[in-house]
Amino acid sequence: MKPKHQRLLLAVIAVFALLGAGLIAAAALREEASYFYTPTTLASANVAPGKAIRLGGMVQKGSIVRAADGVSITFTVQDKDKTQKVAYRGITPDLFVEGSGVVADGRLGPDGIFVADSLLAKHDENYVPKELADIDMNSAEHTKDTLSK
Amino acid sequence: MPHAPFIIASFVVTGVGISWLVISSYLAMRRAEASADELRQQP
Amino acid sequence: MRRRVMHRFANPARFLRIAKPLTPWLLWLGIALTLGACLWGVFFTPTERLMGDTVKIIFVHVPAAWLGMGGWTGIAIASIVQLVWRHPLAGVSARAIAVPGATFAAICLITGSIWGRPTWGTWWVWDGRLTSMLVLFFLYLGYIALSNASSEKGDTSRVAAVFGIIGAVNIPIINRSVIWWESQHQKASITLGGSSIDQAYLVPLFVSVAGFSLLFGALVLMRMRTALAEMRIEARMRRMADY
Repeated sequence: MKPKHQRLLLAVIAVFALLGAGLIAAAALREEASYFYTPTTLASANVAPGKAIRLGGMVQKGSIVRAADGVSITFTVQDKDKTQKVAYRGITPDLFVEGSGVVADGRLGPDGIFVADSLLAKHDENYVPKELADIDMNSAEHTKDTLSK
Repeated sequence: MPHAPFIIASFVVTGVGISWLVISSYLAMRRAEASADELRQQP
Repeated sequence: MRRRVMHRFANPARFLRIAKPLTPWLLWLGIALTLGACLWGVFFTPTERLMGDTVKIIFVHVPAAWLGMGGWTGIAIASIVQLVWRHPLAGVSARAIAVPGATFAAICLITGSIWGRPTWGTWWVWDGRLTSMLVLFFLYLGYIALSNASSEKGDTSRVAAVFGIIGAVNIPIINRSVIWWESQHQKASITLGGSSIDQAYLVPLFVSVAGFSLLFGALVLMRMRTALAEMRIEARMRRMADY
């Protein structure tokens, strides 16, 4: 192969890599939008039970109940207006605490409880040593104020 | 979930990546500069 | 006048006079600071309130991310200098940045993935920040392929420079991604206005960033010296062939 053709080929590969990356990103973001619900949109959307969807919101304060078996939990996801009860079996992520953000993949059960297959917990932008945070261990929101005091 | 494996894995990945960069860049530089100097010695 | 100043460093011989003694300094200082910051970060920082000990991954993840992005910014600036002023060292420096930049972007992606598993509960999500960082890595691969394919001089080297400038659009996208899209990745902890990272982590983090940056500088100098030596060899060979 002539060097010039080789260069051309590599340029074409580079362009395709770029296009591919862009398309993956666009597809991922669109797919994300089509099945993402908050408690409010879920309440008005009339989603069929059993359909795989994603639910996002905040974990309501005081709503996490751990069952005696150690792996089953229930909690409530809330947004500004509505709440949605969620059941989950498995190990929860480290950042899954009351008052912080959570995204759950799963489906609505016939009883209206959202059964989650997986949980994603969100981190806020604060990094605080454990000893400094003993004021209120369960609140992920107040740390900024505690720090600035 | 135990944390140690995750921390160790992150630092190992970083260490391997940077070591590879430093060693390969250094060896390439030494080789290229040596042969450039060698060529200059020739008439 | 400015032309004179620009071209003082354009002379490869002059550049090498500075670069040769500078390289070992940057390299050893960079290694010392990086190792020191990592040891400090791993063994002498407190556990975090929610994340526990996995917070220590920040000391490699954040510097790698910043340098991965800073590397492309450097490529874009050098490419502009190459195209506008025809500065002979600009193209060489842009090429020298590519492989270290790509490696740091990869380190950022891998350590971020490792960090995400215990804290978020997943290795990967297609959110704005993670996706745009992956795009940066692919851009680096494309740039490396392009600049390897083109010769040091002439039109083909300009194609890589144009690619470097256009690809820079992605840098502000990475930076703003956590604001523009509802994302899994948290918002910026360190902004011009201040930091929401506690001092106990912030100080070793900055030492680590300094160490990584010096190492990056040493790597770029070494790779530039390699490229210049290879150009000298090539020129010599051509002259010998002419006889």
